[in-house]
Amino acid sequence: MIRIGNASGFYGDRFSAVREMLTGGDLDVLTGDYLAELTMLILGRDRAKDAGLGYARTFLRQLEENLADALARGVKIVSNAGGLNPEGLAEAIDRLGLGAKVAHVTGDDVRERFPEALTANAYLGAWGIAECLNAGADVVVTGRVTDASLVVGPAAAHFGWGREDFDALAGATVAGHVLECGTQATGGNYSFFTSIDATRPGFPIAEVEADGSSVITKHDGTGGAVTVDTVTAQLLYEIGPPAYLGPDVVSHFDTIRLDPHERGVRISGVKGSAPPDTLKVCLNTLGGFRNSTTFVLTGLDVEAKANLVRHQLESAIGPADLTWTLARTDHVDADTEEAASALLHVTVKTSDPKRAKAFSRAGVELALASYPGFHVTAPPGDGTPFGVFEAAYVPRSSVPHRAVLPDGKVVEV
Amino acid sequence: MRVPLGTIAGARSGDKGGDANLGVWVRTDAQYEWLRAELTVERVKELLPEAGEVDRHELPNLRALNFVLHGLLGAGVASSTRFDPQAKALGEWLRSRHVDIPEALL
Repeated sequence: MIRIGNASGFYGDRFSAVREMLTGGDLDVLTGDYLAELTMLILGRDRAKDAGLGYARTFLRQLEENLADALARGVKIVSNAGGLNPEGLAEAIDRLGLGAKVAHVTGDDVRERFPEALTANAYLGAWGIAECLNAGADVVVTGRVTDASLVVGPAAAHFGWGREDFDALAGATVAGHVLECGTQATGGNYSFFTSIDATRPGFPIAEVEADGSSVITKHDGTGGAVTVDTVTAQLLYEIGPPAYLGPDVVSHFDTIRLDPHERGVRISGVKGSAPPDTLKVCLNTLGGFRNSTTFVLTGLDVEAKANLVRHQLESAIGPADLTWTLARTDHVDADTEEAASALLHVTVKTSDPKRAKAFSRAGVELALASYPGFHVTAPPGDGTPFGVFEAAYVPRSSVPHRAVLPDGKVVEV
Repeated sequence: MRVPLGTIAGARSGDKGGDANLGVWVRTDAQYEWLRAELTVERVKELLPEAGEVDRHELPNLRALNFVLHGLLGAGVASSTRFDPQAKALGEWLRSRHVDIPEALL
């Protein structure tokens, strides 16, 4: 059995989770997911400002605080915090001077095939991570690998799984899917939250067996709960058809079996089949600039008030690219001012940054010249760039998946 | 009895690019039999009138249905002007809708 924990479900998750997971009980591997579709865009903007950035900086700070402890305890660290610059992150970890054997995985960046994109990253699988661990790495950082690969890679390395051990790979993928969003598996954001203590859920652990089955649990004494219901909730997060496609295996979610276990939930029975010949690519392009504001419409004549301010703003800057939403949060004859108020949201999305600014000015200029009771929840700013996410697919053979081992040797995966 | 769907069903929802997914599950076989018959694609569109094209997938092993709501989020999270651009609360909205549930299942 290999005990794999998770300490991060997104870039910005609980900073102290790395320490909590290292000190809270036994662990073989600690993983962390820092990359969502939106995060790639944020890192893309970081990289555009400074080519040395593009990785999740909080992860580096977490290691500054905890890497010595992880090395002393023999806990391996595996994370996709490398983002758009895994090599830069690996170098920064080396510079911490703790003597850790640091490896990284590259090849996911396929911008040369999508020159119009700000970021273009293929979802790599688990085998690069497995190569790094087999070479004795203490820390493995990657760019865009699938979230579940952070669990599949260590399990595959530990048990010596082959590339066609599809059932075992699928079992570990399901465990990885449960872990990838951190406390969403342990009672966070849970429909039946009133039936547990959801104050401060502990982060999840998968105890993976040689056949890919697992027990989902968490450290003793931590909050939240691991039940068939909390695990079911996370299994349903961000999925499509039951045949869940991944770069290493197709995991059949309609074969998952969940059973209560004394320390959590046992996952077994998962069937896997051969993966597709293509890899999914996460593409982010700059879509333009956006700006928004919310007008508060209180009391009588809500529709007429909304029509007036809409007519005024559209007359000032033109109606193009504006999206209006009137939320009728108001109540008749209300006994609080807030309950008497409706909210009119307006957003501009435009390719012209000047128009995003003009929107602001026009909104502010209405302050003494519009409907009775005019005010806004927050004044509009100057507008911010926004991204558009798209998925694309490329042949697996066209993506150079590489493991860069602690001694600098490069292995084609 | 006319009660919120969430009286017996849990849900979790999220985003995949411009699509939203919404998983709904219940906790007994009898409840699942009812859920599978009740929550057709048409019924989900009635309960969530903002939905466009909807796919439904059955996961009887989890006593769950998974719905994919195509295009609900426009061009994806960073660009969506939708109130809940990542569809995080879509499931809680569905759970709050009132439906007729047989008393024996409550």
